[in-house]
Amino acid sequence: MSANRLSIPFQSSANLGRAVRLLIGVIIFGLFLWRFIDVLLIQREYGPDTWLRFAISGLILGGMYALIAIGYTLVYGILFMINFAHGEVMMLGAFAGFFVFEIMNKIAAPTAADPKLTLLNAYPVLAVILAFLAGMLVSSTTGYLLERIAYRPLRNAPRLVPLISAIGASIFLQNAAQLLFGPQRRNYINPDFLARGVGWNLMIGESKVVITYTGVFSFVLSILLMIGLYLLVQRTKLGRAMRAVAQDKKTAALMGIDVDSVISRTFIISGILAGSAGVMWGIHQGIIFYFTGFLPGIKAFTAAVMGGIGNIPGAMIGGLFLGILESMGPAALGIDFQLKDVIAFSILVLVLIFRPSGILGEALAEEKI
Amino acid sequence: MKTALQQGLRTGAVFGIVIVFMALIGFTVTGPILLAKILGNAPKPEQMPAVSYLVLFLALTGVWCGAKASTPGRYSGARSLSASLAAGAAAGAISGLIVAIYAWIMGGVDARGTDLRPYLAQVSPAAVKLFLFQLGLPAAALAHLGLLVASSLGGALLAHLLRAVQFGRRVLGGLSVRTARVVQQARRFPYAIYVVYAVLAVLLIMLPRAWGSYWNYIIGTVGLYVILGLGLNIIVGMAGQLVLGYVAFFAIGAYTMALLTAPQPHALGWNFWLVLLLGLLLAALTGILLGLPILRLRGDYLAIVTLGFGEIIRIMLRSDLLTPITAGPKGVRDVMLPSIFGYSLASDVNFLYLILIFVVIFVFITARLQNSRTGRAWVAIREDEIAARASGINTFQSKLLALAIGAAFAGLAGALFASRNQFTGPEDHSLMVSINVLALAIVGGLNSIPGIILGSFALKGLPEILRELEDYRLLVFGALLVVMMILRPEGLWPASRPNLENHSQAAEPAAEKTAAAVKAEGD
Repeated sequence: MSANRLSIPFQSSANLGRAVRLLIGVIIFGLFLWRFIDVLLIQREYGPDTWLRFAISGLILGGMYALIAIGYTLVYGILFMINFAHGEVMMLGAFAGFFVFEIMNKIAAPTAADPKLTLLNAYPVLAVILAFLAGMLVSSTTGYLLERIAYRPLRNAPRLVPLISAIGASIFLQNAAQLLFGPQRRNYINPDFLARGVGWNLMIGESKVVITYTGVFSFVLSILLMIGLYLLVQRTKLGRAMRAVAQDKKTAALMGIDVDSVISRTFIISGILAGSAGVMWGIHQGIIFYFTGFLPGIKAFTAAVMGGIGNIPGAMIGGLFLGILESMGPAALGIDFQLKDVIAFSILVLVLIFRPSGILGEALAEEKI
Repeated sequence: MKTALQQGLRTGAVFGIVIVFMALIGFTVTGPILLAKILGNAPKPEQMPAVSYLVLFLALTGVWCGAKASTPGRYSGARSLSASLAAGAAAGAISGLIVAIYAWIMGGVDARGTDLRPYLAQVSPAAVKLFLFQLGLPAAALAHLGLLVASSLGGALLAHLLRAVQFGRRVLGGLSVRTARVVQQARRFPYAIYVVYAVLAVLLIMLPRAWGSYWNYIIGTVGLYVILGLGLNIIVGMAGQLVLGYVAFFAIGAYTMALLTAPQPHALGWNFWLVLLLGLLLAALTGILLGLPILRLRGDYLAIVTLGFGEIIRIMLRSDLLTPITAGPKGVRDVMLPSIFGYSLASDVNFLYLILIFVVIFVFITARLQNSRTGRAWVAIREDEIAARASGINTFQSKLLALAIGAAFAGLAGALFASRNQFTGPEDHSLMVSINVLALAIVGGLNSIPGIILGSFALKGLPEILRELEDYRLLVFGALLVVMMILRPEGLWPASRPNLENHSQAAEPAAEKTAAAVKAEGD
């Protein structure tokens, strides 16, 4: 009895927290269920074609989220820190691709058939390859420098310190981009074969669903990159070193692994993925500006958490899942489409409250959560 | 000699890239304008500064570069004059070369008459001509090279001489020892602290009447940010919980004030003081409700969740869904100004007094909290949560209390903010408010009340005075956060109680040893 009395005040507030959590969970899931049934079965506001459209755009978006999310997960797996500036890394990659297209579009390459032809459309495949290379180069350089300047000196500092440094780096990069390139939104000029909004038409009943070329291109490319990354991590020497460092830095160092170089290369790899995601973002969404990286960054982080942070397949699945949830969510819940960003944040909060280890993550010790 | 040269080359490369970056973001125009302004010779708005100020600006940068290049690292021994000069010359040559190449490229582009502004927003033809010292091409590039080499050499020489007379230790150290002695002697006088308080009080009462309304506005903003900084400090500094969505509590206070007192959209017209209290309580309540589910998360997760929460609040405020309640993206106008017993406090002087009174109250509360049982519990949680729990602290409750109190501060500041501006809208509550507050608390010094006041002046007041810097403010904040974390995590005016959580020195020697061992093995 007395032992009980001692332990009750000690634990009661944590219990209260747990109870509140449970209550919130039950209420939210009840609400969701009710909305789903209401929208899907009773109101039937959207036909199957609309749902298909949502699913397709969700998958495309999800592919990009997955690429960015892998960057978060790789870095978190190794350093246990959130690379807050990762969204900005992606944004700079998008700008690099933009400039490649823009410059190639400025250089005339007239042929007999078409005197107005520019380099961009004369060699479209080359242009796309160059844009991706530029995006990857700029992003990986940014990632590398970020690690060298802002994170490496703080390697042994308490966890809050590198996080604040990362927030600072993120704000710095965002505002540097604003000062460099100006605050205006910019239209990505694609080569003609990747014209936006054009694609294969799919007939669902009476109505037509467009599967855009840009969308298919981005999705296929992101899947390819993910497969490449998976092979890199699982099959190569560098991948093995990365996994070793993620498990235990000290032991890895004793086994002859150059920890610093592995960490640098991890940042470069995540920069490459983020850079290609940035160029894809530009090609598919069409508009970039200095703030482009912020929301995708946060959402990709959500995706990484949803899949279980530190877990690479988890980040991929989480990204695709989040993309679909985000594009179908507002319709499925019957809420305003303005609130689609709220969905991602709410998912983040809910996942962290109810299952911080994510879908695929192992049950993490408190130290890691 | 060799290491000196290497250091010179490295420093020179860094400074060269920094100067090019400054040119690209337009700071080679703003910097000289600022210099001109400081020297009392400001150019008219929209006009380029005189070339001499750009020369001065670059020369100062070069001096810094040379000094940096010639200063030996902490672990290497003293450096001879020739080595210092060699380092300075190398740094100047490399940085000059980089800048000259940049100038050459820009000059060439400019000569073709291409306007780069659609792509590089700050590189206008006039700015390029200024950067070329209004000279022709080879001359301008050579001038850059020569200027940087000369100023860098000068900087190296200066640094060497200062080191030779042990300027840092003897002169500055002596000064600080002397000041410390004076302060110590003053402390023996039992009423010294009250004298300081009295002088401060007289100043705070007199100054708002002497300043114009512009200054009162700036100081009022600084005051509000002091309150916010103190509140965030309770959460981040004392309890060690990084909360990035602090603006959410600010927004709740502001909207409580706005919606309950403004004629539009509800026309409730409640009493100002009641609403002020209500805003504070509502913010605290939100803090508790938010904290209940998420406070068991640690560090970085908490940061992102609260960041998300802050964004949710902002998006909700401007969404169509809540427009009937919150007036949507337009914001709420004509928020009530305070009055007491029929006497209006609407004038800027009176409102500043009101803010100052609250600042004093909150400073007092914070100071009392710091040494209270609760405050010590927070510090224990910050340093080691598991150990804190083991010594009988209810960590969850303590953290919740910290969040609630911090949120209450923000709620009150928000309510005052809405009332003073007589307006509040969703864009007043963007993420940048949280970042500003975090930056000022960290730059000033977490857990240090004078530090936070200093930080508010430096980060909120100074940019208001130096309007030219407005565009660069957030850039500088970002850089400051990184630099402070690396060089001085305890802030400009550190707290007297050492803060282990934000300092890595305890862990450093062992880690350095491992790193060295690993490196040796790698070689």
